[in-house]
Amino acid sequence: MRPDTWGMFVDPAILRFFGQGLLETLSIAAASTLLSFPAGLLFALGRLSRRAWIRWPSIAYIEAIRALPVLLLIVYFGIKGSTLFRPLFGSDFDLPRFWAGVLGLSLYTSAVLAEIIRAGIVSLPRGQAEAARALGLSYAQSLRHVILPQALRLMVPAMMGQLTTVIKDTSLVGTIGVFELLRQGRTIYTQFFNPIEVLLFVSLVYFVVCFALSQGSRRLEVGRVPRIAQVKVQELQLRDQAA
Amino acid sequence: MPGAIAFQFPDLFFGGLWVTIQISALGLAGALVIGTAVALLRISPAAPLRWLGAAYVEFFRNTPLVVQLFFLFLGLPLVGLRFSSDTFESIFRAAATGMALYHGAYVAEVVRGGLLGVDKGQIEAARSLGLSYAQMLRYVQLPQTFRAVVPPVGNIAIALVKNTSLASTIGVTELLFGAEIVESRTFRAEESFATATLLYLLLTIPLGLAVNYLERRLLVAR
Repeated sequence: MRPDTWGMFVDPAILRFFGQGLLETLSIAAASTLLSFPAGLLFALGRLSRRAWIRWPSIAYIEAIRALPVLLLIVYFGIKGSTLFRPLFGSDFDLPRFWAGVLGLSLYTSAVLAEIIRAGIVSLPRGQAEAARALGLSYAQSLRHVILPQALRLMVPAMMGQLTTVIKDTSLVGTIGVFELLRQGRTIYTQFFNPIEVLLFVSLVYFVVCFALSQGSRRLEVGRVPRIAQVKVQELQLRDQAA
Repeated sequence: MPGAIAFQFPDLFFGGLWVTIQISALGLAGALVIGTAVALLRISPAAPLRWLGAAYVEFFRNTPLVVQLFFLFLGLPLVGLRFSSDTFESIFRAAATGMALYHGAYVAEVVRGGLLGVDKGQIEAARSLGLSYAQMLRYVQLPQTFRAVVPPVGNIAIALVKNTSLASTIGVTELLFGAEIVESRTFRAEESFATATLLYLLLTIPLGLAVNYLERRLLVAR
């Protein structure tokens, strides 16, 4: 460590460079979350479906994806993403690196969100669904007006917790050439040869964002989460806090 | 046929799988030791020790593992700390150390929960029988804790196996990096990644089943 290498962190040009990286990181996280939430909801409902031809593919998707490293998914889409979409968008289609990364992250996050949402749904008392059906609501109506509002509300802290994992995982997207926060940092330390200072600075930025989010999710008051859901959420948090 | 390519490049696929297993085993062993130590700090009677434990957990859980790996791989040698004089050995050890440090923070939280879950009366009884604090930990509190934390630690072990793939970013030729090398040599991306996928599933699915089994058994036993 040389004393003169800390001065750069007050240079506006350097800070703007890091700022662009942070913006990219947050955009990837936001896009992945927005994409994976509806997908996760569908797979959660699919896994709870009474029809075997819907239930089994949903189970297979969720369990297989959760058993894989996120980085494998990201690297795969980084290499083959363009070819995969060429039948849809024409033979000269080129999947931007950003979207390849978002796709890999979303695939994984959707499987985890599906499990979180499912834990919320199954933890509701049976009486809720039975009463809704007895009042003459269709299955879709009972989901829309009775089950999901309660289940999703209960699971908001768990989903926010997963968001910190998504933010940490965006650092993997740099390996396929997206200029997120860590990748910007790597560019800087190869230039100035000060990896210690840059990596400490970058981890501080990640820390501030993730710590604020995880503290926020812990403080959130959503009412009593049933024990069965707590156990499931703890299991998910331990197994799926990827990188 | 998916998987056939593994036999064309056995050193990259099966060799990579072996490296993945080695990093996982070393990382898990380290994480258990670090996790238990940090958990003991977090419940210690001295406030500064508690803060130290909390700071460790929050720092390692709220920063990406890749950043930590890069730090171990690039940062430490600059201040004169080398894992080994051999470069390949050095990045392998950096990866295993990174796994232990990062997952140690998660193990610490689980073990802390387990330690706090032991009935207060047991601790008081042990102390009033004349056991020292260390003896009480050794014979009363820790054995009960370890039993309770087996399923959650199993879940961490699954995460750890998957996370060893990040060692590829610092150049360790584990399973994912092996598959990437095969892809770059043959351009057979589907086969390479499908094979890596199968090999990862071979590790994580049995682990997951074992964890579920233990979860159910220990739940009944309590």
